[in-house]
Amino acid sequence: MKDFEKTISTPGGGVLEAPKRSMFYMFWRLFRKNRTAVAGMLIFFVFFVVAIAGVLLTTGSEPILDPSLVRLQEKLRPPFSKPLYENLRPYEIPRMGIYILGTDELGRDVFARMLQGAWVSLTVGFVAVGISVIIGVILGGWAGYYGSNKIIAGHVLGIFLIVLGTVWLFTDQMVSGVVLFLIGIFLTGFVGKINQQSGKNYSGKGFLLFPVLSIDGLITGLIDIMLCFPSFFLILTVVALLPSSIYNIMIIIGLTSWMGAARFVRAEFLSLREMDFITASRALGVNDGRIIFLHMIPNAIAPVLVSATIGIATAILTEAGLSFLGFGVPPPYATWGNILSNGKNFLFDAPWLTFVPGIAILIVVLAFNLFGEGLRDALNPKLRERL
Amino acid sequence: MISFIARNAVRKSITLFFVSVISFLIIYLAPGEPSQIDPLNPMFTKEVLERFRKEFHLDKPLHIQYLYFYRDLFTGKSVSWKDNRPVLGKIWERFLNSLPLFILGTLITWTLSFPVGIRAAISRGSFYDRSTTFLAYFLISIPGFFFAYILIILVVTQLHVPVIGMQTFGLSSANSWTLLMDRLWHLFLPSVLGAAGGVAILSRYVRNQMLEVESQDYVRTAKAKGLPSDQVHYKHALRNALLPFVTMFGLVLPGLIGGSVIIESIFSWPGMGRMAYEAILARDYPVILTVNFVSAILVLAGTFLSDLLYMVVDPRIRL
Amino acid sequence: MKRVLVWTPILFILFLVQSYFWVPTYEQQTRGNPDRLYEYITASIGDAQILNPILSADSASSDINQRVFEGLLDRDKDLSFRGRLATHWEIYEEAYFYVNESANLPGMDPNSPQDVVRLILSAKEKYQGTDDPVFASLENIRDIRVILPEKFEITYTITQGDEESFPVSLSVSAPSRIRLTLKNVDQDLFSSLAQILGEDYFAKFDSSRYVSGLPGMLPEKQKQIAGDILPAVEHNPVIVFHLRPGVKFHDGEPLDAGDVKFTFDAIMDPKNLSPRVSDYEPVKSVDILDSMTVRIVYKRLFSPALGTWSMGILPSHLLNEKALAGEAMELRMDPDTFTMRQSRFNRNPVGSGPFVFREWKSDQYIALDRFEDYWEGPPNYRKFTYRIIPDQLTQEMEFYAGTVDDYGVKPHQVERLGIDPRFQNFSGLSFAYSYIGYNMRREIFKDRRVRTALGMALDVDKIIRYVLYDQAEKITGPFLKQTDFYNAGITPLSYDPQQALALLEEAGYRRGSTGILEKDGKPLRFTLITNQGNDIRQAIIAIAQDSWRKIGVDVRTDVLEWAVFIQERVNKLDFDALVLGWSMGIDPDLYQIWHSSQTNPNQLNFVNFSDDEADRLIIEIRQEYNHDRQVELCQRLHEIIAREQPYTFLFVSKWTAVLDKRIVIKEEGELGNVDYRPIEPTQTDNYTFDFNKWIKLSEQPQFLTE
Repeated sequence: MKDFEKTISTPGGGVLEAPKRSMFYMFWRLFRKNRTAVAGMLIFFVFFVVAIAGVLLTTGSEPILDPSLVRLQEKLRPPFSKPLYENLRPYEIPRMGIYILGTDELGRDVFARMLQGAWVSLTVGFVAVGISVIIGVILGGWAGYYGSNKIIAGHVLGIFLIVLGTVWLFTDQMVSGVVLFLIGIFLTGFVGKINQQSGKNYSGKGFLLFPVLSIDGLITGLIDIMLCFPSFFLILTVVALLPSSIYNIMIIIGLTSWMGAARFVRAEFLSLREMDFITASRALGVNDGRIIFLHMIPNAIAPVLVSATIGIATAILTEAGLSFLGFGVPPPYATWGNILSNGKNFLFDAPWLTFVPGIAILIVVLAFNLFGEGLRDALNPKLRERL
Repeated sequence: MISFIARNAVRKSITLFFVSVISFLIIYLAPGEPSQIDPLNPMFTKEVLERFRKEFHLDKPLHIQYLYFYRDLFTGKSVSWKDNRPVLGKIWERFLNSLPLFILGTLITWTLSFPVGIRAAISRGSFYDRSTTFLAYFLISIPGFFFAYILIILVVTQLHVPVIGMQTFGLSSANSWTLLMDRLWHLFLPSVLGAAGGVAILSRYVRNQMLEVESQDYVRTAKAKGLPSDQVHYKHALRNALLPFVTMFGLVLPGLIGGSVIIESIFSWPGMGRMAYEAILARDYPVILTVNFVSAILVLAGTFLSDLLYMVVDPRIRL
Repeated sequence: MKRVLVWTPILFILFLVQSYFWVPTYEQQTRGNPDRLYEYITASIGDAQILNPILSADSASSDINQRVFEGLLDRDKDLSFRGRLATHWEIYEEAYFYVNESANLPGMDPNSPQDVVRLILSAKEKYQGTDDPVFASLENIRDIRVILPEKFEITYTITQGDEESFPVSLSVSAPSRIRLTLKNVDQDLFSSLAQILGEDYFAKFDSSRYVSGLPGMLPEKQKQIAGDILPAVEHNPVIVFHLRPGVKFHDGEPLDAGDVKFTFDAIMDPKNLSPRVSDYEPVKSVDILDSMTVRIVYKRLFSPALGTWSMGILPSHLLNEKALAGEAMELRMDPDTFTMRQSRFNRNPVGSGPFVFREWKSDQYIALDRFEDYWEGPPNYRKFTYRIIPDQLTQEMEFYAGTVDDYGVKPHQVERLGIDPRFQNFSGLSFAYSYIGYNMRREIFKDRRVRTALGMALDVDKIIRYVLYDQAEKITGPFLKQTDFYNAGITPLSYDPQQALALLEEAGYRRGSTGILEKDGKPLRFTLITNQGNDIRQAIIAIAQDSWRKIGVDVRTDVLEWAVFIQERVNKLDFDALVLGWSMGIDPDLYQIWHSSQTNPNQLNFVNFSDDEADRLIIEIRQEYNHDRQVELCQRLHEIIAREQPYTFLFVSKWTAVLDKRIVIKEEGELGNVDYRPIEPTQTDNYTFDFNKWIKLSEQPQFLTE
């Protein structure tokens, strides 16, 4: 690591080192000024701590706060009410001696459920965004860096056959599916080989080597296709059709929201590629992997981070929306979304069941958004210049 | 210009083809079958189920089903499995219901965002700016249905008037002006809710655009000349800041068929979103796929239009 | 510029806000708008699918179909049958048997058909005055006829294996046959006759002797085919309906016997894919005796038969082949593939019920007008509007705003709304019960003690009290609690975790090191599933998991989307235990859900309940036409099911309803005097039993309480 930095410090060091320090400094100086963003960040961290505390307090065989303990005789107690001890069996007595946020329609402690839900909501948000960022960075980076490479007809044909074969495998035509699948694999491998061996050997199999489109064209095409689906509708379709599980929801939200990140990364890569320090590294024979992971991604990640922060907020809202329609994270997991959508049926009888999770979601999402906005402002060179 | 249009058309139809394939695969490969074939209904015998499957071509291989479906769609013959009505007719009916919501929502968004955004930009960093920023994020961050319920409950318990549906039911003997106003009132809350997010985002965008333009030299020159500040802001700066918004008209297009499922369900508004949602629940494949297809066309047409507008508005761009 | 920018939105929004002043409040709904009093608005979560009684299968459609169409009969307040389109009807039986030429009749050697008849008639005297069931059977015979032997050709479709089938033409020379006309349907007839004619007179009848041309195959199979063509004995119950004269469809056409036959034919037409085929499959023929009389002959004993004729009658003049072909031409569709399913009728129905269809806006409302020429007199309400409001909470809001008269109130709302002096509320037992079903293919659930223990460890009273707000009653078996088929003598399982533990211990389960019950090293562990979208079932799951965990049972839970739940788990029999509900018919036919022949994938006995005595009882119940004997059989069957505990029967929920107190029953007496009285719930599932007499008054009425 040290060696490596030494080797490139002569040509590119100035560019690489100097702004890094000052960048963070500039960033912090700018960010600090934005008081709402700082508040957002603080809430962000508090939320983190709460979620982790939630996991510690509500899991295990004997949790301190049991979110799934049903005490029917204690249902719909308002916040800050004391348990009625004479009705409770020993194991049912809440540890805190008070229902801070009341109880729900089954007499479960809303505070415990909110704590558990914090962790689940956070996981849903982070994993979903994690998936979308990973896909976005890979595809965007690929398009940005190798964009000009061509895909040849043989590959397209081969992959088409593989896909068709897989589809047939899952329908009734097992045998032809397998055959197509194998032909596809063979074709892809074969074409790849002759392509490497002899670049310009156009005898007979020439059409297989015909360049169809560039990788960049493929990936931007893919982005265009994904953008054609109305996203909430797409999520809803998939969630409604697949068996509901917390993993499916995270994966689907992730799979349908990577386009923004991919576009950012692609644009950043395209401009970074042409920068002097990259050209220099390439001239020095540094391999592509190093260039991408050590130089390009760190420099391109800032806008992705911003959109990820806001993406988490969006994912939490999406989950709440899905819960409202009955397709959210299924029990036994409590999420803020499903506490809210269950609670709304009792809006007149137990308003806290709606307001507690509703306001909690509002605060956390708002905090994420403000934090993300602050990050964006602080990282935006145009705005920086002006200050 | 013509080559731009031609290239674009080819590219967009390829995209459209893939969208149609992918949406078809998602829907047909997912577990579960159309609810028309509700297997737990003791009234359905096995033979009936088989016949239904045959009628819907569900017994055919996948690619044949795909061809059947799009053949029916393009010849206008495709019918909903749920009620045997032509899909396009259904969509048209729902479109007409969603249209007033869309128009009103767009009007609120576009009329409100500009004054708010511009004022925020002019008085950058002031209390007004900070509070509108905060408010904008507040509107983006609040879960839509939570907000909707709070508003509905406020109206119903405090004002004692109905807000759900497209009109007040049972008003048959009222005069036509009252009926018109009644419809408008029923449009009010859902379109405000639908516009809330739009106002928040667009006003922020207006603010940023204005800030960008205000820092340009010619604006500074105009200020230095001693022109009245209103004239500088609203004449010199605004005109140039408006440029990118022209292109946004194209992006509004997909909203025509969008329609929020959640808002429409809460207000029991018989719009597009709800039809699509009910179709998903009933696995009414023709309706789901057609809605998807039409909305993909609108998205593509929208981006195309916005590219085109950009070209027209900004002479520097030649694609 | 600035002014325009600032004032446009302000004026625009002000304009929108002022529209508020034109909208009526709850009180103004009726005051400024007298027509509102004559319009009844109800709300439903889902939209109707198809407004054709023979094709619809969802509850919203049937809500509407019930008002637009009318059946031959329905159930009255006490759940017994009441004539609607039919004024009255007779049920009798025609029974047939072939003369067994090879049998030795007691006391006579060559047995001619006449001898058999004489023997039966003379036996009547022999049994005279005894209370032997044989006498009752003989006493029931109204007429005996001999049908002479006949020869005929028949084309029979032989099925082999699963799918293969081919037609063969057979020539049959049937022996003489005897027809008995019975006063009442009697399933014991042939066992009684066997007492007279000899124990195996019917059993030994060899029909293959009379059928020739059968291709070479196993003699067993040949016998079976011959038996199909010439069954030794045959019960043919008959119902004769006398239609009400002067009944008209909404378009003015009179309703006659032809429409009844048409409705039946339409149901049985395979092209129509009617979901009601199974109800009418036992019908042999529907004959028009005259324009106001229809005779329905059944192939076999089928006691639910009468109830099936509450099906709405379709107008044949709008849906017969000619009408459909005309419609197809108009729509430019192929008349050969055009069926009733595609007809516009399904969205513009014409029936003979109390309300005339006016308009249907999908996902918005269905509007009906009263039928001025309804035979019972037009309903008091002039309009009926069925609104579709998909969200429970907004339904409640609309109720408060006065734009919905009635909606599906949830139990927890009843308590609150009941206090409001503006509203009256009702509740009553519904027809649906909830249960936990155990898949008895699984090793752990094969033991009845385990199932019983799980039932005992669950505090159902607590569920009823806290989850359902007392809007439910405990239940012990699969019959309707309102009827006498339900055996009220069976006591529900008591909540007793100690006893449950003892039972489990008896079954071999001991506490393991982790606190979980184990048997032979295997923990007592299973997954309890239910479908999404039903809060009460989800609450039950949570409570069951919690209570079973307390006695050391490791329960996992899963909530699945409906289609996945049914198609992937229930139909494929891939579950351990599930929470679900059944909606019961009034008829006590349990064949589909409880008979052991119905345990295959895609069938309804998915818990794999099988018990020989229960099977026998189930068959007898659906063949018994006598109510009292049916009751006896049902009560016994109920005992068996309660003993076996294939389900933990939880509760029948109550329906609840809240209405404005201004809605009352208004009746006009013979002398033109008008009589008002409050609405009262009946035993049926429906507080709207007297709906046609309801009306809303402008002021809340004061009734004298006796």
